[in-house]
Amino acid sequence: MINRVLQFVAILRRNGIRVSTAETLDSVEASLLTGLADRDTFQSALRTAMVKRPVDIPVFNGLFDDFFSGMGRLAAGLDENDTAPANPAEYQELLDRIEKLLDSLGDEISPLARALLLNDQAALEKILRELADSGKVPAPKSPSSQQGAVRAAAKALGVGGLSQELERLLEAAEAAGNEESELEQIRELFNERVKQLGEMLKSLVKLQGRYESSEEATPKEKDRLLDKSFYYLSPTEIKEMRDAVAILARRLRNLLALRYKRAKRGRLDVKSTLRHSMEFGGIPFRIRYDRRKRERPSVVVLCDISDSVRTVSRFMLQFVHSLQDMYSRVRSFVFVADMGEVTRLFAENEIQSAIQQAITGDVVNVYAHSNFGRAFSQFHRDQLDTIDGRTTVIILGDARNNYNAANDWALRDIQQRARRVIWLNPENRSTWGFGDSEMQVYAVHCDVVEECRNLRQLYKVVDLLATT
Amino acid sequence: MSTEFVPFESIDDVSTRLSGQSYICSRNIATVVFLATRLGKPVLVEGPAGVGKTELAKVIATATSANLIRMQCYEGLDEAKALYEWEYAKQLLYTQILKDKIQDVTKGTSTLAEAVDKLTAEDDVFFSQRFILARPLLQAIESSEPSVLLIDEIDKADAEFEAFLLEILSEFQVTIPEIGTIKATTIPMVILTSNNAREMSDALKRRCLHLYIDFPTEELEREILRVKVPEAEAGLAAEITSMVQSMRNLDLKKAPSISETLDWARALVLMNVSALDQETANETLSVVLKYEGDLRKGEKELKAYANKKLEALNKAEDDSQDEEEAGKQDSDANGGQLH
Repeated sequence: MINRVLQFVAILRRNGIRVSTAETLDSVEASLLTGLADRDTFQSALRTAMVKRPVDIPVFNGLFDDFFSGMGRLAAGLDENDTAPANPAEYQELLDRIEKLLDSLGDEISPLARALLLNDQAALEKILRELADSGKVPAPKSPSSQQGAVRAAAKALGVGGLSQELERLLEAAEAAGNEESELEQIRELFNERVKQLGEMLKSLVKLQGRYESSEEATPKEKDRLLDKSFYYLSPTEIKEMRDAVAILARRLRNLLALRYKRAKRGRLDVKSTLRHSMEFGGIPFRIRYDRRKRERPSVVVLCDISDSVRTVSRFMLQFVHSLQDMYSRVRSFVFVADMGEVTRLFAENEIQSAIQQAITGDVVNVYAHSNFGRAFSQFHRDQLDTIDGRTTVIILGDARNNYNAANDWALRDIQQRARRVIWLNPENRSTWGFGDSEMQVYAVHCDVVEECRNLRQLYKVVDLLATT
Repeated sequence: MSTEFVPFESIDDVSTRLSGQSYICSRNIATVVFLATRLGKPVLVEGPAGVGKTELAKVIATATSANLIRMQCYEGLDEAKALYEWEYAKQLLYTQILKDKIQDVTKGTSTLAEAVDKLTAEDDVFFSQRFILARPLLQAIESSEPSVLLIDEIDKADAEFEAFLLEILSEFQVTIPEIGTIKATTIPMVILTSNNAREMSDALKRRCLHLYIDFPTEELEREILRVKVPEAEAGLAAEITSMVQSMRNLDLKKAPSISETLDWARALVLMNVSALDQETANETLSVVLKYEGDLRKGEKELKAYANKKLEALNKAEDDSQDEEEAGKQDSDANGGQLH
């Protein structure tokens, strides 16, 4: 049993569930306590000791099913696919007759043929499991190599010899005085079962592949998403990314909370200590520390939502607004050629639908040509008061200004009032300043300019924000 | 404690005794509880709000006749609030009252240093267990009777506190510098609950058994409703549960949990409602859904549900006028499965 559990742990690890040695020991101990009689209880016992994250539970359940009942389910296929016997009594009689024949032949017939003919699922499951554990079935690396694996499996089982065994069985049957039609029945049943065995082997190989192929896929998958440029995300990837950004936001929140907590513990506050010592007759029993004021920064986000950077803007908006409670105030604006405020949308709607509304032209015309200069001067005219010394301004855009006036004085004024200005550019750094890119002009008035093309770079930006 | 502590004997024993406390649990929960008591390991319970995580600890305590010691976590919780604290005021009061006695002790000393030396020798009078205010963790360790220690909403506490807790949970002993080490005589059963506001550290998770309580299945929820709100008729209970189950599949800000189901059932019973019609459902929906946006979605769902029910009812009527009752039940079952 321990071996089985260890194999299972290896499979879990390969599928991204981290199970420590101590946890393995716990799970063995737990399953000894509950016993193995009830499958669900056994599963519960292993799960409670091995799986510690709710997200891993479905993965665990799937693997558990495959690993501990996969073969059983395969063997059960024998019954399901059965060519429903027209007459159960007749069928039973046929089985009885075959059994008698098999008994008379003894060792001449292999266990495999016997299990197949008698519909013995337990025996078949055992044979299949031994085959799977023997390592004779190569795990297919790709769908195309599956056939080869199936052939290898069939060879390991000795499927080729089955037809000879059938002949011997038929001979014996004839000798025992069976009629031609009865022989035909046996032959038919046998061929049907061999066909089913083929199907089973195919599923077995697939099952085997599932354990192996996931070996490297998981980390790779993650990396792929990390480094993939926001430009080329498919709709499903955008969805995955949404979750990733949510997790990122949560992590940063914990980090910030901890930092605030630490900042709260300040230096000795003599005044307060003396005051409180009055309670104890002038003896300073309780030392007081001055609590540094918790200064929550406010954030203003300016997002370019023209076609080229819309995806990045989407994540930035999601990110900043999931962190709303960490800042004293978050205000967001979107622009293409005109600047429009979208803060209200986030207050009234669920975050994803707010983002959707913000970037699909409900607020500003998204079909205009990008005009950073115009947008900045508008912001300068209407919103400059919102920026004070505690405000971090985050600008997201490619700075492709379509050769309009840059109006960099507006950005300069913004920077002078703000705590700092961070510019995130979703374009490759090497293209900045070429063509209609005004990045070099604007960069002068920014405290930080970062490339933000993929999730990994977004992580970096997050760290930057955390050090506010 | 008047009644004797009774440990659990088997998984079935857990199920029956918890249901004796009107806590209906799945086999999975019972298994984990049983294992935790046997292996002497803490259990980390996670799951959406309102599925009975805290309740589980309470009923385990009553079912086994153990003491329940509860510690509510919050941001900024520290050792002084969780473990122990010196009672300064009491110490001071005693020194004031015993002034004369102290003078007796220091009598006959000529220098200040000598007096202090003498007083220092009597130190442990003031730093003894008498002046310690035991907080939940110390209480659990000191307790000679079996106890259940509930550490509620551990995710609200800071990461530092978690590390500190880890030390306590692995050793079950506390060192107080002035007194010495106090070791637990009976290991309490520890239950930690988390709403997943933040991911717990791997180290803590490794030491705990893990239990994820999800929303119950429809049958289980109906059973819970039957036990907790027996006044609700079977028909109404079935309608409520299937409605709530279908609402959990909507994209809501806060999905209704068991406590909301129970509240709804109680509200409807109070209003003398025996069958859920669309109007009453709409009026009372605010018991189940707590956000404006959710309410709007819920109403839409109710409407769809009512239409489906009507359709099924009509169909059943067409089939046979007599079997109206059966048709209604059919439609209930359909409503639950449509999502």
